[in-house]
Amino acid sequence: MHLSATEYGPYLQNEPSPLHTTTIVEKCTLKLVEDYKHMLCQATEPLSTFLEYITYGHMIDNVVLIVTGTLHERDVQELLEKCHPLGMFDSIATLAVAQNMRELYRLVLVDTPLAPYFSECITSEDLDDMNIEIMRNTLYKAYLEDFYRFCQKLGGATAEIMSDLLSFEADRRAVNISINSIGTELTRDDRKKLYSNFGLLHPYGHEELAVCEDIDQVRGVMEKYPPYQSIFSKLSYGESQMLDKAFYEEEVKRLCLAFEQQFHYGVFFAYMRLREQEIRNLMWISECVAQNQKSRVHDSVVFIF
Amino acid sequence: MEEQDQMQSSIEVEELEEQQQREGKRLEEENVVRFLDSLDSYVTLLDSLSSTLRQGWLELASARQSMGASRINGALLDLKFHSAATSLQVTHHDDEILNQPHFTLCKWASSKNGYGDEKLRENKLQTNSDGPQLRHRSQFAEKIPETKGAPLIVDDQVQKERTKSLSMFGTLVSPKLRAAQLSFETALETLVEIANVRLTMLSTSDQVRKELEGTEG
Repeated sequence: MHLSATEYGPYLQNEPSPLHTTTIVEKCTLKLVEDYKHMLCQATEPLSTFLEYITYGHMIDNVVLIVTGTLHERDVQELLEKCHPLGMFDSIATLAVAQNMRELYRLVLVDTPLAPYFSECITSEDLDDMNIEIMRNTLYKAYLEDFYRFCQKLGGATAEIMSDLLSFEADRRAVNISINSIGTELTRDDRKKLYSNFGLLHPYGHEELAVCEDIDQVRGVMEKYPPYQSIFSKLSYGESQMLDKAFYEEEVKRLCLAFEQQFHYGVFFAYMRLREQEIRNLMWISECVAQNQKSRVHDSVVFIF
Repeated sequence: MEEQDQMQSSIEVEELEEQQQREGKRLEEENVVRFLDSLDSYVTLLDSLSSTLRQGWLELASARQSMGASRINGALLDLKFHSAATSLQVTHHDDEILNQPHFTLCKWASSKNGYGDEKLRENKLQTNSDGPQLRHRSQFAEKIPETKGAPLIVDDQVQKERTKSLSMFGTLVSPKLRAAQLSFETALETLVEIANVRLTMLSTSDQVRKELEGTEG
């Protein structure tokens, strides 16, 4: 009802009631994709390349989704329906036939923008859950580093603003990888290899994060860096539940600041990321309503502007 | 003299009858109390199950929010054939009072590990049996027992099994997803306790009804 008065309204008006959370997210994402395509079709170089870079993260997620689902003997059509529309490419369905990373690259990914990112993870080992996870994170690391280099080449305000935003992204990923790998079979060396080669935490923070065995040790490392001290000060000891929200809040703050400067491409990146945050907010609110837990709405909603 | 003997024996018989009546009433009251206890436990467990499931679903939504919808969705569930990580056993007890089956949850026990029922169970709510125990976990971080080395090994294996079952969503998953897993695990244990308590409740209810019918008759 409230969304009907927004630009999402036309996308949801024909959906039968009751609306499910997945439907709301799907239709709002369709609106985002249309807005993105509208910007892309009117962009010239180098902005068009910059806009394409924004979608590579979703492409990586889609590749991993298809490969993981195929490993679990799921139907390819079903998996394709779950892919993010911003990350779709022509030969994506062919991913289902690959048995290892070498085949993945040779059969499908060699003709996609992700091809350059595969050089670090091409092996003939069969794809299993651990290898897929390492592949995901290695690809994303290569993507972030490539995007960072591209923005540095553009120079000016774009380089300055995107450098800050991408460094934050790299640092956040390093923290999440560290926390999520606690208690798993991922070795310290493998963990360290997944951290990006830029960001505030590179290289000394990464050295310390690689050996962390619990969340309090991660906190101890991060509190040495003033920009992240404020994030971790919001959490109590041993707690990690609110860490995501704290990171999202910091990200939103930085993305909003991108609009304070003019004549740079960072506004496009910030626009897309803020729209994704908006959709995440809608997803959370609709989950809380569906589960009759409206008092928990503020647990994960991040206010924008 | 004979009259005195007769009077004494009739008094003794009356006393014996009174004692038997008191005993019978005591047993009736015991059954009623047992029924009410089991009813109270049943209602409490139902409430606990409801709140645990609510918490689990919210934690799952939170994990989805954190990791992204492409990483947590039904399309990733593994359809390959594999043995059940958790099973339910039904045992029958020869208890005279409660001749009823008993349900036991065998969590994270697989033939590969060889960890049988005896090592993996703890029962929070003890019923009238020497039945196996169920383990209850309410925290992601395991509280390591102080006594023996064997429980530590079991905890490690259980943790590995948990990680293995979550691996369909990836090997590096958010702590929120692990918390959701623990919540649903606790809910499963509660369900089994509810089944046992319900059996006790129905059994004692039958006994009370029979006694009431006997009294009225």
